[in-house]
Amino acid sequence: MKLRLLLIVVAVWALPALGQEMPVYKIVARDGTLAPTRLEVPAGKRFKIEVSNEGKTPIEFDSKDLKQEKVVAPGAKTSLLINPLKPGEYKFVDEFHEATAKGTVVAK
Amino acid sequence: MGNALFIVWRESAEAMLVVGILYAWLKRRSDATIGMRYLWGGVAAGIGLALALAGAMLGVASVLPESALDYFQLAMMFIAAGLIVQMVFWMRRHGRTFKKELEAGMQEKAARANWWGLLFVVALAVGRESAETVVFLYGLSAEQHGASRLLFVLPVGIALALLTFWALQQGGRILSWRAFFRVSEILLLLLAGALLISGVEKLIALGQLSPVVDQLSDSTPLLDDSGRVGGIVAALTGYRAHPALLPLVVLVAYWAIVAYALRRQRSR
Repeated sequence: MKLRLLLIVVAVWALPALGQEMPVYKIVARDGTLAPTRLEVPAGKRFKIEVSNEGKTPIEFDSKDLKQEKVVAPGAKTSLLINPLKPGEYKFVDEFHEATAKGTVVAK
Repeated sequence: MGNALFIVWRESAEAMLVVGILYAWLKRRSDATIGMRYLWGGVAAGIGLALALAGAMLGVASVLPESALDYFQLAMMFIAAGLIVQMVFWMRRHGRTFKKELEAGMQEKAARANWWGLLFVVALAVGRESAETVVFLYGLSAEQHGASRLLFVLPVGIALALLTFWALQQGGRILSWRAFFRVSEILLLLLAGALLISGVEKLIALGQLSPVVDQLSDSTPLLDDSGRVGGIVAALTGYRAHPALLPLVVLVAYWAIVAYALRRQRSR
């Protein structure tokens, strides 16, 4: 019984909050650069990162910290949902240009 | 240049692991020539899958909504994880030979189903990550002096992948059959766990699940999962420098179930 209750609590908790207006932060990738490289966001709030690839080559936006991994074709853009973050630093990288294209999301 | 090569090698590591281990395993038995055919069939299917996926990622087939690709990738992760675990248990059951069981009247149909499972698991392992390699190489060719770089990176990259494959085969020769098999099992089960974690994280990223608690702990000083070594370890084992609670619970549950099933199989 206790276990079932626990499961329900976890399930409800794990349900995504639907239909909320979310702030959107933009990152522009261009053949080995990401801009901005430092993105300040409020902690504890769900938000979106819009990655647009304005370069000529594809990129792979990757962040284990933010749980994102996404290939973006040249000229395309994608919208990534980010769950509420604890205050701290979260690294991201364009894996296809990992020597130069790195950045950090700072949650405050 | 070294960077590009490293990326190609990293993306091929998962495929080489699965193909290399299965190849070494099949090679050890005289009665598995049919298995080889399914193995190479899986490689061929995987290359086809990689090209199709790469096309979809690059927006060649933009008829598909973006989320369709996400969910397709998600399904591939979970199916690959499940099939790899199934494969390990199947390999254990056939530790020595197929012949004995075929002679003992094992249903040929069941045997065939397992060969198809092998084909699928190989196709998924090859296709999933190679798709990214294809996109990456396509990007390389679009860069300045890209064509000449591609002419270098492509053959050397393939050579590196073959070298990995060869090293695995040497491992099969140097180690005793038992030891090699034990190590292979562990590597495959680790890989399945990593795929499972990637799948759960993808569900979180798609907003279908909550991480419950994010960034539970920080082991970056020990091993940074965005570094080169850490990145490989993360891809092949599910290691995270900042684990979230939900994926961590899933990984622990996965290992508990696997350990239980292994023990049960052994005691039988």
